[in-house]
Parts: sequence; C-alpha cells; structure tokens
Amino acid sequence: MQDSTDPQQHARAERFRRFVEPEIEVLLRVARTLTGSGVDAEDLVQETLIRAYRATDKFDGRHPRAWLLTILRNTNSNMHRRKRPDLVADWEVVGGHRPAFGARPPTPADDAALHAELDAGLRRAVDALDPRFRAVLLLVDVDQLSYADTAQALGIPVGTVMSRLHRARNRVRTALRVRPATRSDR
Amino acid sequence: MIATIRQMLRCHWSARRIQRYLDADPVARLAPAELRRLEEHLARCERCTAVVEEHRLLSRLLGGWTEFRAPDPRAVARLRATVDSLVADAL
Ligand SMILES: [Zn+2]
Repeated sequence: MQDSTDPQQHARAERFRRFVEPEIEVLLRVARTLTGSGVDAEDLVQETLIRAYRATDKFDGRHPRAWLLTILRNTNSNMHRRKRPDLVADWEVVGGHRPAFGARPPTPADDAALHAELDAGLRRAVDALDPRFRAVLLLVDVDQLSYADTAQALGIPVGTVMSRLHRARNRVRTALRVRPATRSDR
Repeated sequence: MIATIRQMLRCHWSARRIQRYLDADPVARLAPAELRRLEEHLARCERCTAVVEEHRLLSRLLGGWTEFRAPDPRAVARLRATVDSLVADAL
C-alpha cells in the first residue's frame, strides 16, 4: 500500500465495508451448507472476504450478495478442488445434539410429540436426497436464499435451481406423508 | 370420463405451479392470468389444496431449522474483525 492518506483507498475501504457487513451471516450460513462444517465455513468466509476486498474496485455495487456468493463459490472450489461445486459432499445433520425444539414456539405436549416425529422424519428424508438436490433445498428453505442467489452460490442456472428444488421438496413431502404410525390413533 | 381427464390435466397444470405460487420468488412469479387460474382451481380442488398444505407444513418445518443453524455469534464477531482489519490496513 502506498500513500496512507489516499482518498481513493479510503473510499474503497468504506465501500467494501458497506457491501460486506450486512452479508456476513448469510455468507456463514451458505458456507456451512456448502462445506458441511462450521469450522470450514468460517475459514471459507474469511478467505472470501480477503478476495472480495481485493476485487472491490471491479465491483459495480449492484448486487453485493450475489457478488459475494460468487466469490464464495469460487473460493470454495479453489480451497477444496471440488470437481462439482454444486455437489455438497457431506452435510452436518442439523445436529444430533439438537435441543428438542427448544427454539420452537410453545405447543401442547401432543403437538410437540407430533412435531418431534415429523422433524425426525424430515431429517431422514433430507438425508436420503441426492446431495445436489439437498444443497438447493437447504439453501432456499433453511438458509432462505432467493432462487437467483442460490444459483450464484452453486454456479448453476436458475432453472436448474428451480427444478432441483421442486423435485427435492416433492420427494421430502411424499416421504413425510407416509410416516409410520400417526399419533391420531392413540 | 372426459370430465375426469380434464380434471387430471388441471391438477397436473396446477401441480407444476404450486411451488412458484407459494415461493413468489422475484425471478419466477406467476403471470396474473396463471395466478387467477391456479387460485380458482385450488378453491375447487381438495387434492391440490392438500398439496399446498403439505408444502406449507414442510416450509414451516424447514424454517425451524433456520434458527437452529444460525451462525455462531463468535464466528460472526471474528469475521467482522477481519473486515475491520482489512479496512484498517487500507487507511
Ligand atoms: Zn387439483
């Protein structure tokens, strides 16, 4: 770095901060879905931030999230040399140590039991998905990305996002429907 | 017979649009005419209405994972510090 009082440097630094700060949590979520691990996710976002900083001057400022997700995806494939960046290898199941719905709204005991059963079935069904389908489902329905941002994160066309998402949901939905022993009969 | 086939075709047509209808994602909105046609069908068809309800339940259940998978606040703080130091180096 040359002149420490360079106003251009200053403007770039402020631009960078403005683009990036609101997206840190989303980047961490997506990174976790892509890497399947919280620790790798943090490393990945860290590296993404450094690369984004270097690329700030080339960015037109229009869609910071999409810009960052593209850098994240490229960084991930460089870091892990993935043959298929849209193929999420392993997914950390939503946590074996998961508190039993601690975070969900309070429900009567029967509802809670039904919810627990549904959620276990859901985990099995998501587990059984093709990893490419699972990645899209997690990014849209859990990480709450738009179709377009999901496409950026995975490096696939929006149409592919939609068809994978729709098939994934239909598969999971059907799997939940035939859950063993409904509670209504006791 | 013809009525049954017609009904099947309507359900098939609807099934292909239900998720876009529920998501209302900016890049894949239904056209107003499609929207009207779908809502008219849902008002009359129990089977498709049940599918919509299943999608809503699935969405609620997966939405429950969102909170659970929220990033560790310490990781967020460390990454904010990374941003700070990148910016500070430039100044
Ligand atoms: Zn129908």
